[in-house]
Amino acid sequence: MEKKFELKSCSHDLAQFRQQLKELLSGAGFNEKKSGEVTLAVDEALTNIIRHGYGHEKGRVEVAFHDYQDRVEIRIRDFGKKFDPTKVAPPKLPPTKPGGLGIYFIHTLMDKVEYQSLAPDTNELHLTKMKI
Amino acid sequence: MKIAYRQQDAVEIFELDGEVDFHSSPELRDKLQAQVQKRADKILICLKKVKYIDSSGLATFVEALQKVKRYNGQLVLSGLAPAVRSVFEIAKLDSVFSLAHTQEEAHALLVNPKGLAPEA
Repeated sequence: MEKKFELKSCSHDLAQFRQQLKELLSGAGFNEKKSGEVTLAVDEALTNIIRHGYGHEKGRVEVAFHDYQDRVEIRIRDFGKKFDPTKVAPPKLPPTKPGGLGIYFIHTLMDKVEYQSLAPDTNELHLTKMKI
Repeated sequence: MKIAYRQQDAVEIFELDGEVDFHSSPELRDKLQAQVQKRADKILICLKKVKYIDSSGLATFVEALQKVKRYNGQLVLSGLAPAVRSVFEIAKLDSVFSLAHTQEEAHALLVNPKGLAPEA
C-alpha cells in the first residue's frame, strides 16, 4: 500500500500530518510505541526541512508512505538547501546546549536512513522501520 | 498546545496540555524565558497532559534549565507519560532533569530546603 502527501513547509501543519501518519502506522500493524518512534523520526526530518532546508520560507515537501509486508518505508523529498543528514556526527549526550538532537533521533528511531541527492535542488530521505 | 500558569508557595507552575513540537515550543520558550529573566527561583512544569514532544521541545527545556541553574534556581518536570519520558531517555536527559511522577511530588521537591536530585 502506498500513500502520498504533499505538504507545505509550515510548522502549523505538522500536528495534523503526525495524526495522519499515526493512523497509517496503526494500519500497518505497528503498536503505539513503534508508531511513536516512526512519527517522531519523520517529524524531526520535516522540522529540519522547514527550519534549515527552506529557512522558514515557503516550500513543498513530498512524503510517500509505503507499507510492505515486513517494513514501512517513508520517502521524504524536498527542494530546499542541499543537506545530507547521514553525514552528521552524533551529538554528545546528554546535550550540553539546546538543539542538535533531531538527526540523532532519526538515526536512533529508524532501522535504516538513506539519503539521495536526485537533482541539484532535490533532497530525498528514505526512512525504513521493520515490523518485527 | 495550551499553557496554564499559576503561582503557589513561590513556585512558578506551568501546566502544559497538548504537543510540544517545533510549532508550539516557541510560545513555551517565551514564557519560560520570562521567568528566567525575573530569576524565578522555583519552576515546576507539569507535563501530565503532554502526549508528544520532539527535539524542539527538549531544546526549550534544556535552555530553561541551563539558565535557571546559572542563578542557582530550580526546575522540575512532572507527570511525564511513558512516550514523553522515553524521548528524554534517548537523549539521556532523564539524568539531567529532576523528574517527578506527580505535580504534588514536584512541588514538594521544590519547597524542600534539602534541594533536588535527579530521579533515581
